[in-house]
Amino acid sequence: MTEVVQVSGATAVFGNVKAVDGLSLSIGRGEIMGFLGTNGAGKTTTIKMILGLLKPTAGEVSVMGGDPSLPETRRRVGYMPEMAYYYPYLNARELLSFYGGLCGMDGRTVRARTDELLDAVGLADAAKRPLKTYSKGMLQRAGVAQALLSDPELLVLDEPFTGLDPLARIRFRELMRSLRERGKTIFFSSHELGETELLCDRVAIMKKGRCIYHGPVRELAGDGDMNLERLFLKTLEESK
Amino acid sequence: MKILLLQMRALVKLSFLELWRRNDVFALALLAVALMVPLSMASPFGASGATRYLDEVALLLVWGYSLFIAVGTGSRLFPPEFESRTIYPLLSKPISRGRLLLGKYLGACAASGSALLVFYALFLGSAVARGSSVSLLEIVQAVVLHLAFVALAVAASLFGSLIVTRSANLALVPMVLASMFFFGRKLLHYADAVSPLSAWALKVAYAVAPHAEFFDMRQRLVHGWGAVDGAAFAAALAYAAAYTAMLLFAASAVLKRKRI
Repeated sequence: MTEVVQVSGATAVFGNVKAVDGLSLSIGRGEIMGFLGTNGAGKTTTIKMILGLLKPTAGEVSVMGGDPSLPETRRRVGYMPEMAYYYPYLNARELLSFYGGLCGMDGRTVRARTDELLDAVGLADAAKRPLKTYSKGMLQRAGVAQALLSDPELLVLDEPFTGLDPLARIRFRELMRSLRERGKTIFFSSHELGETELLCDRVAIMKKGRCIYHGPVRELAGDGDMNLERLFLKTLEESK
Repeated sequence: MKILLLQMRALVKLSFLELWRRNDVFALALLAVALMVPLSMASPFGASGATRYLDEVALLLVWGYSLFIAVGTGSRLFPPEFESRTIYPLLSKPISRGRLLLGKYLGACAASGSALLVFYALFLGSAVARGSSVSLLEIVQAVVLHLAFVALAVAASLFGSLIVTRSANLALVPMVLASMFFFGRKLLHYADAVSPLSAWALKVAYAVAPHAEFFDMRQRLVHGWGAVDGAAFAAALAYAAAYTAMLLFAASAVLKRKRI
């Protein structure tokens, strides 16, 4: 399997705090990988390194074989942050048009993608409403749409289930699976273990900046009554 | 090049929509109308010459509003992006921080400049209604110099927003610009009348602070003193361009080093 993301011994230090400590991780093409861990485990810092927003203090991060901070690499990556409050005075269509412009997409392509994506995330009916009238879940869906706008090869999502109602979660899972079928790679952090288990091929579990588990989810099913929640708790317990 | 233009257009449009969809510009425009309409009807003591002082008041209002809008827009370019977390999707797009800063700056200038043009249109309407005569060349020079000031004020507030808190920035930048607007041309005279240490401080301020007074053509417009000499006009524009470029360069350096 071709590696889309390769993290080798990445370390991120802020003052006296080691947010990420020698993390090594790889994500293959067409794979959905869940990134788990308690609060402050280093998940968001790792995501920032993968996006090229933060340079590792030590070690290396490469995305599709390139430096993630370069625009050429970013052109192939989509990112949705955890609970962003998008420009309240824009509507969803204008939001996507704005991000499309930043990606260097021409107007016609942006309009076509916007229609497609607003429909896919269930915001077609609310497309002309200002974002300030959106609920948390709707903002999250707008976030997914902006991340998918340039049809990226790698999709990085930070807590994508936050604020989503059950129906939206089902729709989101279906969307992610259809993306995987099209060969897209998805990496997301979450505290939602049930959703992660339903969606992921592999998971990585972080604790205090270190990766304490990295493996496939499918194998868990064959391990007695071990589900992801039990594995998560057991792994955290064993790493004490 | 095409990508650069698409990116700049997207950023300019964003600033434009933000400014015109917020209520404060409309509130200011309404306030301007509310103040300028009575001014346009006033004829103090029946003396025609007195109307020029009403023009001066109207122009001072235009300057005050433009400063308010330029500083407000410039200082809002980045801090809300950090607060609402939209800075992450923004920087994860294929655009460099320098280009992002430039696009946002141009957008803020375009938005603030458009508001300025509305205020000048109101002023001209008020002046014409009062029977004041304004030469076309003078008004064009006044608007262009005022736009240069707006560009400088946006750059100053943008730079300030990246190095100090929002409230400090909103207090400091207008204070410095307004002080220079009113007292800039007198600073060196003051320096002659104070102690050597204070004189030195005033001279440093004169050398470093942005000279807002260079762009002020109110007296010429009001008293009909005629257009500014071409060389002086060009020098003021060059000064604005150089000062603005320096501020943008500094802001870009800060943004590039800023931990996201």
